[in-house]
Amino acid sequence: MSANGNDQGAVPTGEGADNPDTAAPASAHSNDDTTKPLPLSGIRVIDVGTFLAGPYAASIMGEYGAEVLKVEYPIGGDPMRRFGTATKRHDATLAWLSEARNKKSVTIDLRRPKGVELFVKLVSKSDVLVENFRPGTMEEWGLGWNELSAANPGLIMLRVSGYGQTGPYRRRPGFAHLAHGFGGLSYLAGYPNETPVVPGIAPLGDYISSLYGVIGIMLALRHKEKTGEGQVIDVGIYEAVFRQMDEMATVYGLSGKVREREGAGSFVAVPHGHFRTKDGHYVAIACTNDKMFERFAQAMERPELASTTLYGEQRKRLAASATVIAIVNEWAAGLTCDELLERCIAKQVPVGKLNSIADIFADPHFKARGNLLEMEEEALGKVVIPGVVPTLSETPGRVTNLGPRLGEATYEVMRELLELTAQEIASLRQQRII
Amino acid sequence: MDHEPSENLPLSGIRVIDLATVVAGPYCAGILGEFGAEVLKVEHPVGGDTGRHFGTPGPRGDTLVWVSEGRNKKSVTMDLHRAEGVRMFKDLIAKSDVLVENFRPGTLEKWGIGWEVLHAINPGLIMLRVSGYGQTGPYKDRPGFARVAHAVGGLTYLAGMPKGTPVTAGSTTLGDYFTGLYGCIGVLLALRYKEKTGRGQYIDAALYESVFRCTDELAPAYAMYGTVQERHGPHMESGCPYGHFPTRDGKWVAIACTTDKMFGRLAEAMGRPELASSSLYGEQKARIASRTDVNEIVRDWCGSMPRDEVLARCNAAGAPAAPLNNIADIFGDRQFHARRNLVSIDDAALGETVIVPNVIPRLSKTPGRIKHLGPRLGQHTDEVLKDLLGISDAEIEALRAQRVI
Repeated sequence: MSANGNDQGAVPTGEGADNPDTAAPASAHSNDDTTKPLPLSGIRVIDVGTFLAGPYAASIMGEYGAEVLKVEYPIGGDPMRRFGTATKRHDATLAWLSEARNKKSVTIDLRRPKGVELFVKLVSKSDVLVENFRPGTMEEWGLGWNELSAANPGLIMLRVSGYGQTGPYRRRPGFAHLAHGFGGLSYLAGYPNETPVVPGIAPLGDYISSLYGVIGIMLALRHKEKTGEGQVIDVGIYEAVFRQMDEMATVYGLSGKVREREGAGSFVAVPHGHFRTKDGHYVAIACTNDKMFERFAQAMERPELASTTLYGEQRKRLAASATVIAIVNEWAAGLTCDELLERCIAKQVPVGKLNSIADIFADPHFKARGNLLEMEEEALGKVVIPGVVPTLSETPGRVTNLGPRLGEATYEVMRELLELTAQEIASLRQQRII
Repeated sequence: MDHEPSENLPLSGIRVIDLATVVAGPYCAGILGEFGAEVLKVEHPVGGDTGRHFGTPGPRGDTLVWVSEGRNKKSVTMDLHRAEGVRMFKDLIAKSDVLVENFRPGTLEKWGIGWEVLHAINPGLIMLRVSGYGQTGPYKDRPGFARVAHAVGGLTYLAGMPKGTPVTAGSTTLGDYFTGLYGCIGVLLALRYKEKTGRGQYIDAALYESVFRCTDELAPAYAMYGTVQERHGPHMESGCPYGHFPTRDGKWVAIACTTDKMFGRLAEAMGRPELASSSLYGEQKARIASRTDVNEIVRDWCGSMPRDEVLARCNAAGAPAAPLNNIADIFGDRQFHARRNLVSIDDAALGETVIVPNVIPRLSKTPGRIKHLGPRLGQHTDEVLKDLLGISDAEIEALRAQRVI
């Protein structure tokens, strides 16, 4: 077990030793109340993954108090540092700054025997390892489960990859974009008979697979603390995506019905879709049942629409869906977005604006809930990132720092955790092993 | 059932009360059940969980959403609008570890079973509260469904053709599942803390927040540069080619050349390695600058052969491509079979074999399991009332006659 990273000594490396991001974050979600405990303090996580699928799991662990050591290749580090929107910092895109939150960066070249040795030593002093190389890669380096569990029998190893560790496709390159296609999500985004569109967010599958990863780690930690036994968690990004698809498989299995793209609507409820307002915005309206539709008819000031002879029943609305949708479209087009929202909200109709990020920044609810966390970064000034989710009343998570500089904590970790001498560290650095 | 039961479950001994409806909260309880917790689904005696009615009706009336996502749960009916129901519910809470609920904020308080009351009964209680907008903030009383949460959280705005009406981002229940996952993480963190200190807590999970948390660098890019990301259509802007391409047989493939190395492999798969030269499209910058031309070349190539041929060539070269599978493709796919992502369950109550998505994540030592599918309404009421609450047969009869259960 490790000490909480925040308690460890200063880092005499000269670069980024004093983290500028420890200013109290402006968020109700953040554990700026230092009297509140963190549920994962004392847990050390090694994150040797790249990009997001897996590393986001380590970030969540860090938000709740685990010490997360990001082990990176000495030259350039995690390619995520260069993926996405650039900043004035050459080693950090905005995606890196946000999603590598709370981590410490340690450089080790795993392609060199000495690097492998250091890494095994690090793993032997840690609780959790997160990796997302193509299956077989760690084994090629002599860092497979057999070697690592021999060094640390209690180790929990999260392995995230496009297709999982087994099966015929396991060696194929796996990105979220491909997993959305393979897992059945992308096929369903867009209009029937048109080319499917990206389902909103390119790395969605990376986030989802990481959430399953955290659940696996938390379960494995329980088992480890009872028995001392570690284990492997195997997550394929595609199967995390597929698991989101509610009754799609069950329906196909029973009836052979293939779900198709629904455009801006739904095949199971009407009106349940997106509508354009007079001022060019869009709203989502979700009348999942007859009670909701009745309220909606009142909001439209056409209560007669909810009568049993007209569209009071879902069955009838589905049968006449084109007519019902046309009525709603016409009504929506006569109101501004704000007017429409106000009328629907007054009648408790499930409605929401299709928010752009500009809308989100202006929204009082996002503000009240602390969903936008402002952090100060030494070189960049103010950086806004999404706050911690979920909110725990006794042990809330927190963000202590943004994505670290490459190798910022190498010296500290080599010196204090691996107990190398300053001379040994200098020599490793000279050979570019760290 | 072709899923080996595991005796070695990490949550055995944990009791969860699932008072939630439809998907978000219940999915969290479902995961806890897959890994060994006893999950008691407390439902209204008339009609039960609304999840039994939303979706495609199955062979015995309950929808297939319920049949699949009600897995492993025991159904206990109890009317919480009645004093007797509330009393039994409190007794149940005293003997449980976790409560999952997703009523509109304030509803449980109105029934006299808010956090303060339940926490006093069971100081170690962990309460997951799921709602559209969370327990605080100006919108907390608004009704929230996943479709609305996708809109509010910023996901829907990005799905669709650039100037067209935004479309459903693939599935209307994504936000429910995401929130179930975040909620489950919260419960597992809280369980850990409880086991160390004896102290319970509540978790406040909002559908829109779970969606918003997955929006990548949308927020930092707006804050720093004022960039408002717009709908992507079938292609992402951050790489090229990086999108969906039609094939000759009317299907589609996803291709994601996020790096130059990946494009090199694609050029090889296309039999045109020269495209990856530095004077042509070898660098991402050059490809993005000539996006229309590059996409055109890839589209022509994909359109000249059936999907499986495109994929065979890409796979041989290690190029990043995958099919846009529909559910029929998924049922026929070797990888889904090899990973046993689809599990067939002979359900006595349904009288039919039902196929549902299997448990994920896969744990090597303590894998989860599906014991049975969604139970019939009230199937376990007698068992739980008798064994757990010590209520006599006669009292149960009386409660039933009064429709409290």
